[in-house]
Amino acid sequence: MVLGAAAAGVRAMTSSSSPGISLMQEGISYMVGCQLPAVIVNFMRGGPGLGGIGPAQSDYLQATKGGGHGDYNLVVLAPSTIQELVDLMKEAFDIADRYRNPVMVLADGIIAQMMEAVEFKYEVDPAALPPKPWAVGGAKGRPKNVIKSLDLVPENLEKYNWMLQEKFKRARANEVRYEEYMMEEAEIVLVCFGTVARVAKKSIEEARKQGVKAGLIRPITLWPFPEEPFLKAIPKSKKFLVLEMNAGQMIEDVKLQVCHARPIEFKGKPGGTVFTPSEILELILSLEESK
Amino acid sequence: MVRTALDYKGKLKPTWCPGCGDFGVLTALFNAFARLDLDPNNIAIVSGIGCSSRLPGFASTYGVHSLHGRALPIGQGVKLANPEVEVVVVGGDGDAFAIGGGHFPHAARRNIDLTYIVMNNRIYGLTKGQVAPTSDVNFRTVSSPYGNFEEPINPVAFAISVGATFAARGFSGKVDQLTDLIVAAITHRGFAFLEVISPCVTFNKVHTYKYFQEKVTPLPAEYQPDDRTKAIEMAQVMQDVIYTGIFYRQEKLTYHDWISKIMEGVRPVTPKELVLSQK
Repeated sequence: MVLGAAAAGVRAMTSSSSPGISLMQEGISYMVGCQLPAVIVNFMRGGPGLGGIGPAQSDYLQATKGGGHGDYNLVVLAPSTIQELVDLMKEAFDIADRYRNPVMVLADGIIAQMMEAVEFKYEVDPAALPPKPWAVGGAKGRPKNVIKSLDLVPENLEKYNWMLQEKFKRARANEVRYEEYMMEEAEIVLVCFGTVARVAKKSIEEARKQGVKAGLIRPITLWPFPEEPFLKAIPKSKKFLVLEMNAGQMIEDVKLQVCHARPIEFKGKPGGTVFTPSEILELILSLEESK
Repeated sequence: MVRTALDYKGKLKPTWCPGCGDFGVLTALFNAFARLDLDPNNIAIVSGIGCSSRLPGFASTYGVHSLHGRALPIGQGVKLANPEVEVVVVGGDGDAFAIGGGHFPHAARRNIDLTYIVMNNRIYGLTKGQVAPTSDVNFRTVSSPYGNFEEPINPVAFAISVGATFAARGFSGKVDQLTDLIVAAITHRGFAFLEVISPCVTFNKVHTYKYFQEKVTPLPAEYQPDDRTKAIEMAQVMQDVIYTGIFYRQEKLTYHDWISKIMEGVRPVTPKELVLSQK
């Protein structure tokens, strides 16, 4: 339905929680192939299979590395508060339109089930949205548009795929978003996204009070994954600490940035449980001792 | 050895709400197994996702708690791999007719020898009360606040129209009749479909026990379940009377009968030979 509505030229979105998103992967791949903008929201729960209904971050790799078939990427936005979720929803639609590509908003179940006061800082005027001359319908006076992803001539498909890759390259250059928290002189650098990052901030504040130079890099776009904050952080850093509510997925991207420059520690929670501030503080303090 | 219903009872206590219609189905199912004296080691209960799909966990038999809407393909897989196993597929109306709607016609017209019990509460109970493919027009739920405006699926009429060779309806408030129906469904050779009206006492405040108790009526004694058109007509009676019983029954070659026919005169190849021939 989202594919159909997007093809008709309107802003369309859907949301689900892990298993439902797995089911949509075929459609997402087709939307990329058809160059259709849409927003897909995934509030992750513990997997694989039916798993549980506790919050998790175990669909990171699925969201950032494909999920469906074919050469493609989605811009993946990871809010850590409900206010940020509200703000990113507008950006998600704008990015989708900009690249004619689906955008995924990836959050954990906590953000879906929590209540917080939010402010809607924007208004969207439907009349002011960019025109979509490629959409189906209203072909009077112009050649008709046919939305498709099929190309049986390998040479043509290759050309088409390189054109798609150009879009991903532009997104890599222009859409990176991240937050640095207490990164001044940081020696122990935490890398977390979503709810974990929010909890970690509290622990970092406490660690700083105790004289431990801890800081946080929080990727907001999980794809494209930020590079700059790592280049900046490595020289002063002693250790990296990756915390995820999964068995270790984003750590692969962190390794690509840090390479072997510094040791990277990992702690995961893959079943639906959440880190507590004191738990993270203890991890930071133990790293401080061993650095 | 004569078994009792208790032989099929699992160690886990059902997690359903007190008063849930599915308790009646579980009791009737165990009664039916006992009456047929089936070996619990030779039964596989296969389900999808939903309140009712948790049923395999409450039985002592084998079971697969599988994907949402895919209970039928998985049940067929079990039956294909081991035709000796008594396969009973269970689930709810959402599992069967929304996400699983595409699988139903093909299992039915394939006439594969299994029993499919759909517990119909006309709502999504597990997710706290959204409109279902079996909900009445104008039915208000959290996801249909202005009333439902999509035509409900009539499970029995649907099953007959797509080629089920056995189609029946029971009510979880009438466990004795339901037991008879499950026995008839299991002993039927081919695809046996049984809809059980199974009220959701927590989220469906319209289609309650009382609502159904006033309407549920056994099919007339003279009714013969051998006419598809008549069966569909009787299944669609929903206003003042809702019929229960066997609407349609037909003896037809099953999937495995066809396979046996094709295999007649073909020398079976043993797995050992297959391995050797690959070398």
